[in-house]
Amino acid sequence: MGYKGRQLVPSGLTYIADNIKNKGNILGLPASYRAGWAGGIKFSEDKSTLFFAGCGYQYADMLEPLVNVIKTADKMTDNPDLPMLMSSIPRKFGIDATRLLGSALSRQSKKADNILKDAINVLKAIGIEPGYLGQDEPCCGAPLYHSGFQQDYALVVRQAYERFAAAGVRRIISIVPSCTYALRDLAGKILPEKTIEVKHFIEVLADNISSIKLEYPQSVKVTYHDPCQLGRYMGLIEQPRRVLKSIKNLELVEAQWTSGEWSTCCGGGGGFEVVFPDISYSLSINRIEELIATGADIIVTQCPGCMLQLRSGLKGTKRENIEVLDLATLVARAII
Amino acid sequence: MQKEYRKELKAALANSRIKLALSRAISSYRQNTNNALKKYPHTIKMAEEVLKIKQYAIQHMYDLAQEAGKNIEENKGKYYIAMTADEALTIISKLIGRGKLVVKAKSMTAEEIGLREHLEQEGNEVYETDLGEFIIQKLGSRPMHILSPAIHVPREDVASLFSKIIGRELPTDIPTLVATARELLRDKFIRADVGISSANVVSADTGTLFLIENEGNIRLATSAPPVHIALVGMEKLVPTLEDAFKVSEVTWRYANYAIPSYVSLISGPSKTGDIEKVTTYGAHGPRELHVIFLDGGRVKLAEDPVLRQALYCLRCGGCLYECPVFSLTAGYFGDKYFAGIGTVWAAEISKNIEKASSMAYTCLTCGRCKIRCPMKIDVPEMIMKIRKSIAEE
Repeated sequence: MGYKGRQLVPSGLTYIADNIKNKGNILGLPASYRAGWAGGIKFSEDKSTLFFAGCGYQYADMLEPLVNVIKTADKMTDNPDLPMLMSSIPRKFGIDATRLLGSALSRQSKKADNILKDAINVLKAIGIEPGYLGQDEPCCGAPLYHSGFQQDYALVVRQAYERFAAAGVRRIISIVPSCTYALRDLAGKILPEKTIEVKHFIEVLADNISSIKLEYPQSVKVTYHDPCQLGRYMGLIEQPRRVLKSIKNLELVEAQWTSGEWSTCCGGGGGFEVVFPDISYSLSINRIEELIATGADIIVTQCPGCMLQLRSGLKGTKRENIEVLDLATLVARAII
Repeated sequence: MQKEYRKELKAALANSRIKLALSRAISSYRQNTNNALKKYPHTIKMAEEVLKIKQYAIQHMYDLAQEAGKNIEENKGKYYIAMTADEALTIISKLIGRGKLVVKAKSMTAEEIGLREHLEQEGNEVYETDLGEFIIQKLGSRPMHILSPAIHVPREDVASLFSKIIGRELPTDIPTLVATARELLRDKFIRADVGISSANVVSADTGTLFLIENEGNIRLATSAPPVHIALVGMEKLVPTLEDAFKVSEVTWRYANYAIPSYVSLISGPSKTGDIEKVTTYGAHGPRELHVIFLDGGRVKLAEDPVLRQALYCLRCGGCLYECPVFSLTAGYFGDKYFAGIGTVWAAEISKNIEKASSMAYTCLTCGRCKIRCPMKIDVPEMIMKIRKSIAEE
């Protein structure tokens, strides 16, 4: 081999990579914003069982407008390099990170869905009171790995595990699929001695599903979109279905050909939306159409990237009376 | 990211014909493959066996090429080992010369080294005889799928292309279009000086080329002309005839066929002893068979514990039908070979690092190709390795 170096990595990805290295999160925002979702939630002081919220969900509201800016820029110009120069776009369009953040935060207070809060409520319902590191939560480093910066990733994941150890963490319940894969599988290659057990939220929920009664407020047809890393990478395909089937008033309908291990990528794969915003958008439309064809009222998934993509796709199809929900939200609504 | 590549992808994305053609192809591929695997369920176990055969063979490509070559010579054919694409072109140029009529079967290896263009530059008249490849040649385009090169061209576009060629308006029904191609190519087979093919698999112990097809163009191109030249990538070699049958069966089944119409087994030139038991070469078939085994970076690639998986590829094309990006852009997400696995070929065989980098970041690493692949080739793992090389070196 012997390739050509960093300038061949799409700049949208180097932007994210630099943010992780310099600021400890994908958007380069101050750490204090990380825990904004957790206001009013009581977490256990004991951090031996830790809830790992991840950048994707914690910054979801800020990601969306940023991706929209990139999509618009990509449409507005023929210069194929422009969308790659992600860091210069906010400046060019008069949008700076602080403003973006401000508007997102003001929306968050009125916002209807708080997926992370829903997840905590679900965990509490099955008798788990996790700790949370708040603004000290480290980045898992997954985007570094996926962009090709594997040495930087090794550094970040090592630091993350040091922080976990210092907090007395013995078991992690993680909710973003790519963070979970990074903390569980990728980290295992770097830190073969690690003893902290990492599970995805859905494994924990499925294992304890008999301890709660779930009934959806009205009768609904639901289809499930398997996120690539959760399904194909980690093999968590049966668990979400076990959970959904345990909900009364809910009928699970599967996509023809494209469910489980055959699930179609939402088009967000590993930061793809900042590399090829237009292809990414078309992929989201394709995927949402496969899911709509099931006749479902609710499309459920459990990945911040998939959520963003599927909602954007749904908007594009102009279909009404269908909603895209995170599995945590759906289950939280069904707790009786 | 290359500007030209990005532009091509954007244009492909805006081309609704591609999406239309691909969506038709994908649903029939899935249906056909499903049916084929249901009817012959042993294929799945056999694929595991084939993976072991390939794993061994890829580590012994050079020895197998020599063994196959010796056996081809015993069968009165000739063999050559080309270390590079240029060497292969030189060997073939010397064999063909100038001003010849050449009929070609579809071959990705020929595409890899730019064989048709090279022979045309040398003043030969070259006809692609695979229907898809013929369409591509006439369109002045390049193949967009390894098995169905014209996958991105719907019937309406084929009709208007053929109408132009014959100077008469053709209907858009597929049988008429197929008959037109047959008409156009029929006399070329008979008049050709040379027929060129590749091989899907080659057994070293007998020196036998296996050629899988449905159209019958390969049979004609490899038997009607007086000279048959086969250009074969070394990754196609397996130790035994029995291995080769297994590789073939798994290949066609994952290429969505229960059984293909034709499998040709070619081990030497045509011969007869029917007059006084005197062996004479060139009866009804070619009097000469030349087989060129191409290294072209394959032996080096086989040393890489991750990227060598690319050499296990049977070229069934199944992964491409499962690639979400490919369904929108066809082979524009590609170089000589396509999509995720094509990235490895661009990087390691064509050494087109800029293109390989662009492609590496076009792959979603969603991993559905791996689920489809009979060899379970881990494309995301290979892409991550290439990205690492790009980012860190």
